[in-house]
Amino acid sequence: MYAIKILFHQPYRYLLTTGGIGLCIVLILFLLGIYRGVADGSVEYIRQNRADLWIMQKNTTNILRGTSILSTAHGYVLRDLPELENISPILLLLSTIKMEDKEATVFLTGYDLAAPYGGPPEIIQGQSVRNDDEIVLDISYAEKHDLEIGDTVHLNSYALNVCGFSTGTNAFVIQYAFVSLQRAQSLIDFNNLVTCYCADFKADSKNLLSPRELSDEVPGTVVYTHEKFLKNNIREMESGILPLLYAIAAIGSVVLTVILTLILSINILEYRKDFAIMKALGSPKGYLPGLIINQSSFLVGSAILFGLFLFFPMVKLISKISPEIETITSTGHIITVILVVGMMSLISSFFSIRKLRKIYPLEVYE
Amino acid sequence: MNGLLVRAEQVSKIYNTNSHHTAGVLDISFSATAGEMVLLLGPSGSGKTTLLTLIAGFIQPTAGQILLFNEDIQSYSQTKLQSIRATKIGFVFQSFRLIEALNVLKNIELCLHFGGKSREERHRTARQVLKNFDIEHLADRYPGQLSQGEKQRVAIARAVANDAQLILADEPTASLESGQGFEIIRLLHDYARKENKCVLVASHDLRLKDYADRIVNFENGRIV
Repeated sequence: MYAIKILFHQPYRYLLTTGGIGLCIVLILFLLGIYRGVADGSVEYIRQNRADLWIMQKNTTNILRGTSILSTAHGYVLRDLPELENISPILLLLSTIKMEDKEATVFLTGYDLAAPYGGPPEIIQGQSVRNDDEIVLDISYAEKHDLEIGDTVHLNSYALNVCGFSTGTNAFVIQYAFVSLQRAQSLIDFNNLVTCYCADFKADSKNLLSPRELSDEVPGTVVYTHEKFLKNNIREMESGILPLLYAIAAIGSVVLTVILTLILSINILEYRKDFAIMKALGSPKGYLPGLIINQSSFLVGSAILFGLFLFFPMVKLISKISPEIETITSTGHIITVILVVGMMSLISSFFSIRKLRKIYPLEVYE
Repeated sequence: MNGLLVRAEQVSKIYNTNSHHTAGVLDISFSATAGEMVLLLGPSGSGKTTLLTLIAGFIQPTAGQILLFNEDIQSYSQTKLQSIRATKIGFVFQSFRLIEALNVLKNIELCLHFGGKSREERHRTARQVLKNFDIEHLADRYPGQLSQGEKQRVAIARAVANDAQLILADEPTASLESGQGFEIIRLLHDYARKENKCVLVASHDLRLKDYADRIVNFENGRIV
């Protein structure tokens, strides 16, 4: 009761503290949301292209931050292997799309329109690429640049008709766009280059050849199973931007702890006479630390409510302003953040409670 | 020995600051029993408050022994001392020392809480104590809304709420007008007499002599 009362004795301070901690919670939730969004978005293209095998240039482990160059000749070798089918060439390029008054980079994906793999994971508006003059864009990219189905964009000298929008193709810092393999190859003036191939084992050949044996069959390549290749790309992404997000989230937690410790300590100092009176009157051993923990819990509880109240509208607003910033927030995330903040609250209480030791009952006689 | 609550035997308290020795009290022997109000009388700095803080166990004597409720106070653990303060000793201070953030009722309930009373018991007892002191109407007021005299009545109500055997009152009338001061002293005296408790009042106010059952004069840290 007393713990809460003295918080309300300084309503502005209480509101500022709740606001400060609440914003830290929003920041942490937001970064975790981005983490999940990036983690899912960056590899969704690979996850959804469920080919048995990914064949890359030797020494390449991923497509997010690796360069793989194979020739169409590799494709012929692969097609000649009796164990494989559904050979699907893919060419990935960083390209700049020119719009009416601006330009923006995409992760351009050229794929064989007749092959089963390489295309957009999911078309949510319009339809997939049917010919060399069409392009499918990521929905967040389209929203950001106000593009609609039927609009025309330019890739070098080629005018392409926007025929569809895809999801699962937002890698946060860049978005995928899809054109025919021929169009992608014509952009680099090398009609016999691809980045990689997707392929399936024939039904009766699944256990006949290992990826390593397949690599030996096609010189200059490395072959990954779908699971292994997905893992490689997730690991690559996690070693890139994501540690930075973690670092900022960690800083947010530290700031939260510092704010809370400061406020609790200031309260103890301001109300030290009250604490001295309580000590003099015989407060039991754990009573005063309990007050501080109660205060801390109440502040954090209010801040969590405030943070959650603010978080979802804020995410909506941000996705309107910057559609490419995709956040995914689950109940698990929220529970994790509540647990982390609860732990920080205990740490803050611990630091503040130490100040109680220096308050003496004798002070009531001053 | 029957009814003896406090006994100090050749107690001294010397403060050492920067190789300077200041005597709080020197070689004091003193006792107090239930049913009496003892006035510790002396000018400021004469050692009467030091004696109260020694009896409360806030400080330890440099020499001598203090028996509180027939046990050497130095043998008490901190937890035991806290428990004794919460259940057997009531405190009245010159500047009242009420908790400003709590209303009168909660101030008294807090003390009862320290004494280990249940929520319901706290509420019932606090109401009863306020009624006994004719200040029930102040229950919902905050200390900042009370007069000085009302604050001290509340402080006394708080001190006796746990049925304290011993009340340590430090200059309880110093912040009050004389009329209010006498009223407060009468309350403390009544409590000692009617409830068979011991009240130790430290004061420099000679006018309180008439209300005390016994007077102990202090000067320069000694009883004279």
